[in-house]
Amino acid sequence: MSIEWYIVLSSLLFAVGATGILIRRSPVVILLCLELMLNAGNLALIAFSRMVGNQEGQVFALIVMVVAACEVVVGLGLIVAIFRRKLPLDVDELRELRG
Amino acid sequence: MSVSFWAWLVLLFPLLGSIAIGLGFRVLPARAAGAIGTAAIALSFACGIAALVSLLGDEPEARHHASSLWNYASAAGLDIKLGIFVDPLSIFMVLVVTGVSTLIHLYSFGYMESDRGYRRFFSYLNFFVFSMLLLVLAGNFVLLTVGWAFVGFASYALISFWYRRATATRAGMKAFVINVVGDIGLVLAAFLIFRELGSFDYEAVFAKAPEVFAVNQWTIVAICLLLLLGAFAKSAQLPLHTWLPDAMEGPTPVSALIHAATMVTAGVYLIARTHVLFDLAPTAADIAAFTGLATLLVAGTIALVVTDLKRAIAYSTMSQIGYMVVGVSIGAFSAGMFHLMTHAFFKALLFMAAGSIIAAMANRQDIDAMSGFGKAMRFTSAMFLVGALALAAFPGTSGFFSKDEILAYAEARGGMYLIFTVLGYVGALLTAVYTFRLVFRILPGTPCNPAQELIETGQVVHAEPENPATGEAEDTEVGFPGPEHHIAERSWPMKVAMGVLGVLALVGGLVQVPGVDHVIASFLDPVFEDSPLLEVHPTVGAEWTGLGIGGAISILGIALAYFLYVAQPATPAILIQRLRPLHTLFARKWYFDELIDLLVVRPALAIGRFANRTFERVVVDGLVSGTAETVRGAGGIVRLVQSGFVRSYALLLIAGFAGLALYFLLASS
Amino acid sequence: MTNSLLWTPLVFGLIGLALPKRLTGWWATLGTAVTLGIAIALLAGFDSGAAGLQDTVEAEWIPGLGVEYSLGVDGLNVFLLVLTALLWLGGTAFAAFREQERPHLFFLMMLLAETATLGAFLAQDLLLFVLFFDLMLVPFYFLFGAWGSDRPDGVTASAATLKMIVYTLVGSLLMLVAAIATAIVAADGGQITFSIADLAQNPLGEGSQRWIFWFFAAAFLVKMPAFLLHGWMPDAYRAAPLPVLAVFSGVLAKVGAYGFLRVVLPLFPDATVEFQEVVLVIALASILYGSVMAFTQTNVRLVAGYSSVAQLGFMTAGIFALRADGADGAVLQMVNHGLVVAPLFIIVAVLAERSGSEDLREMGGMAMRAPVLAALFLIVALATLAMPGSANFIGEFYILNGLFQAKIAFAFVAIAGVAMSAYYALRLYQRTMHNRVPAGVGSRELGWRDGVVLVPLVACIVGLALYPQLVLKRTDASVQQSVAAATGKPAPEAELAEEAPAMSGWTGYGPLADRQVDELAAGESGKSP
Repeated sequence: MSIEWYIVLSSLLFAVGATGILIRRSPVVILLCLELMLNAGNLALIAFSRMVGNQEGQVFALIVMVVAACEVVVGLGLIVAIFRRKLPLDVDELRELRG
Repeated sequence: MSVSFWAWLVLLFPLLGSIAIGLGFRVLPARAAGAIGTAAIALSFACGIAALVSLLGDEPEARHHASSLWNYASAAGLDIKLGIFVDPLSIFMVLVVTGVSTLIHLYSFGYMESDRGYRRFFSYLNFFVFSMLLLVLAGNFVLLTVGWAFVGFASYALISFWYRRATATRAGMKAFVINVVGDIGLVLAAFLIFRELGSFDYEAVFAKAPEVFAVNQWTIVAICLLLLLGAFAKSAQLPLHTWLPDAMEGPTPVSALIHAATMVTAGVYLIARTHVLFDLAPTAADIAAFTGLATLLVAGTIALVVTDLKRAIAYSTMSQIGYMVVGVSIGAFSAGMFHLMTHAFFKALLFMAAGSIIAAMANRQDIDAMSGFGKAMRFTSAMFLVGALALAAFPGTSGFFSKDEILAYAEARGGMYLIFTVLGYVGALLTAVYTFRLVFRILPGTPCNPAQELIETGQVVHAEPENPATGEAEDTEVGFPGPEHHIAERSWPMKVAMGVLGVLALVGGLVQVPGVDHVIASFLDPVFEDSPLLEVHPTVGAEWTGLGIGGAISILGIALAYFLYVAQPATPAILIQRLRPLHTLFARKWYFDELIDLLVVRPALAIGRFANRTFERVVVDGLVSGTAETVRGAGGIVRLVQSGFVRSYALLLIAGFAGLALYFLLASS
Repeated sequence: MTNSLLWTPLVFGLIGLALPKRLTGWWATLGTAVTLGIAIALLAGFDSGAAGLQDTVEAEWIPGLGVEYSLGVDGLNVFLLVLTALLWLGGTAFAAFREQERPHLFFLMMLLAETATLGAFLAQDLLLFVLFFDLMLVPFYFLFGAWGSDRPDGVTASAATLKMIVYTLVGSLLMLVAAIATAIVAADGGQITFSIADLAQNPLGEGSQRWIFWFFAAAFLVKMPAFLLHGWMPDAYRAAPLPVLAVFSGVLAKVGAYGFLRVVLPLFPDATVEFQEVVLVIALASILYGSVMAFTQTNVRLVAGYSSVAQLGFMTAGIFALRADGADGAVLQMVNHGLVVAPLFIIVAVLAERSGSEDLREMGGMAMRAPVLAALFLIVALATLAMPGSANFIGEFYILNGLFQAKIAFAFVAIAGVAMSAYYALRLYQRTMHNRVPAGVGSRELGWRDGVVLVPLVACIVGLALYPQLVLKRTDASVQQSVAAATGKPAPEAELAEEAPAMSGWTGYGPLADRQVDELAAGESGKSP
């Protein structure tokens, strides 16, 4: 079956997520956008899996979900730690890790 | 007992003496050290006599023996053994060196008695004699260099014996460095010899050299010039002579032994020893002769104006060595060596007498302050006069026969060499004048204060010790002269030593009276028999003519000195006024010190300072710091990317990804 | 016995960690003494006439890479081994007499350094050599940095050490690259081997030889140090603790010169001949520059340091005269210089104690109440200036003779260094021992502690001066072989290397697919003898 629309949807979601990362300053929102991008990728994977006919894409999508979950845990943990130290939750302000 | 056995013993005793005194310096009482030192050299002299007797038992042609102890350094084609070479020339030198050294040791036994460094002195003095004997007995060029350098070191150690005097240490350093320059000449000559002849041993080299080299081939001339570099540094000939006057900082016995009788004659010995090479390079021999002549005259003129007693005698040494160098360079080998022997006698005597006078002056050496010692110290004055007569070649003394024999030989050679005769006689006149300038200043006249004190109280005057050159006060711990001063009249060892030398200075010439006997010549000539110059020989008549002229000049010089310094004492001052530029030239020692300072010392120090301050800082550190700075700079530029802005990182990521995707899209289409 | 020589110091050092503080120094000294005993035994059993390796140890180490654990003794290194053991004994004893902080670590580092240095001399496998060469540096990093002294002009011990390490490591890195390249290029698709003897049999092509030569030369020249690469020396020498500096200057510098003879000349003969004059110019520059710097320095350590630069320049010149006499002289000088510079630094320590500073301008007159010290210092100073009569003179004589016969102009320039060395050595002696005693200087005799370390070393100097043939006789055969390799002249019988066993691929490990094994088996049967 044709999957063009799924791919279009996936790329739109990806674009929205990418734009969000570039524009928004709050770490929570950036994480959300990151999730959006990941799920866009998932959608594309599943669509392609359907097109090819084997299950490899779907399996990979599950793996991506696991990775996304782990990364969200770490990211949220970081945000909570920043919040607890009463630092501004603003990506532009948090820039001590530089050369 | 073979000749070589005795020769090794000759070397052994001074070395043992030096080591024994050195190791036992804490336990040995002072006099014992002196006795051991003197005995060691006396034993060495005895063994020298034994070697001589043994040598005379051989046929004149077979009087050369080589003997070696062990392989010193034999690898990669170089074969250097610890070997000695004994022949009439080396035995002659051994006897002169050990004989005069024994007497000087005896003299020092009394002279240095109150010096805190007494034991060190004898240890060094014995070591010096060992080194000198090693030099004359060495059988190859490497061991010669070793002996040469040891002598230079011993000279340094003894010049800066009173090591807490800055003038003494500076003089020692100067002597040592100039000596090293001479060593370098010897070493380079050795390399050249090895390159052409393949060996360092005397016997091999002298046998092969005539076969390998053509006359005046540039290599052999180069070898000889390099040997001359060494010889001139050691014998204080122009231009490497500047260390000798400063070497008078050492104690007087040192001046007597090293800088009159033995070390400075090493150059003469070298030229005589390597005569085979010099015969093949007449150009080099002529250069040597002319340098000797120049030194002779220059030193004579300086001695005319110098006011320090020891320095005056030093310049006279330089001048007399000029005669010896001329002698052995133009082919008057046995005459040159004869003069070496007689000069050792009367010069050592002069220094010993001078030492006695300086002691009486409480270490002041300025002749302007001295007078009237003829009445105050009879024995010393008599000895001084004897030495002076011999130096001035007064008829009948040893100097008379030896010096004029050289000049007669030059005349017999004829041609260009007549210059040597003529200028040699001029030099003889100068010698007589400056020698008796000293005599007439110091001996007659109203006694100066110290002399007066001696006459009245019989005590040597005591003064606060001070450096005679700079006048700065010194204390009398180790490293400075002892507080008391010993004069010959009070000290029997000094008297005996001076007495023996006095006799020798007077009669020593009788071994070589022309037409009557020729002990030295017949002994030494077999060594030089392969030299073409041995053919040249002045007739007995010519020799007596030469002697006559020489005697006349000597008397004329003495008379001139009498006129200038006794009869009309105002004349010197008038002469100095009239000839002021000339006097300055002489007084400033012909500006050699200044010249060397300008040409060598200052540039070297300037380069050193440049290297230290500029080069090291700018270039070397610059290279490294420059590299470090470049790396740091590059890192600084790259670091700008790491801004810490998460969003800029994200932008870069996305842009990069988009770019890649675009590229792949385009590339695949 | 070779293995025991190599590992004894390290074993003693490790055991010393468990001992109480007071005993550590003495235990370490005992360790170095035992090592010296083994070294002397090795020397006594050494056959002077043979040119090849003796007392070899060969074991497989990394067969896949062709790296063997192979050690060997021959004329080039037998005396350097004895010198290392002797100087380490002197340095350790000297350090033990003067209490050190944290003695366990200090002596462990010293003994580790000794093992590494012995390994560098003994290694007959290129990679093993590089390994020990780099390993030598590690303990000195700690010794200089942690036990060194900061300078009043602001250069800290750690900064000086860092500078030294970076300099040396750059060179060592280049050497590692070159070593690996040598083995790979020489293998030429066949069996890789790092064994020096094997590599010497098939020299590389000229193009490869050129850059590999310079990479090795870089490492060795930095170690010596040579002119322009010596920037690390002044700061490091001023910061280092003196007993460590004695062994560092005495032994480590020689590893560079030894490396030329062991590795560069046999393995890269064409490049050696091609670049002979360039290296000679560097050597001459080192001689002149080192001498000139030495005679205007006022810091006593740096006079000795720059003098070492000049002396190592002489050794390099001797080696690159590419004649047996020059190289013989260089090896002899390696031994001589080590024997001379270690007592020199001990004397520097003694002088610094008496005058409170290491500046020549604040010293003087110390010979007054210290005749023994003066005498020992005089002997060491005379040996430094290569006074004829010392073994140093014979070493320099051989070097200069070789240089003279090979490239006469260079010899004339080099000999100026001799005159300058006379001046700076005597100046050092005079400024400290003679002249007036300035305020703040206390002249007193050498203590028995320092004497016990100094006198045997000086006795060795005097002994060798009487009989330099001791060293020359044993080194001659190997040196001839090494130089002959470079100049192409026929060498005495060289031991033929065994045929390398045919092996699969160059890694030799990793799972192979069946078809690959079949292919190789077919190839092997065609190739193997």
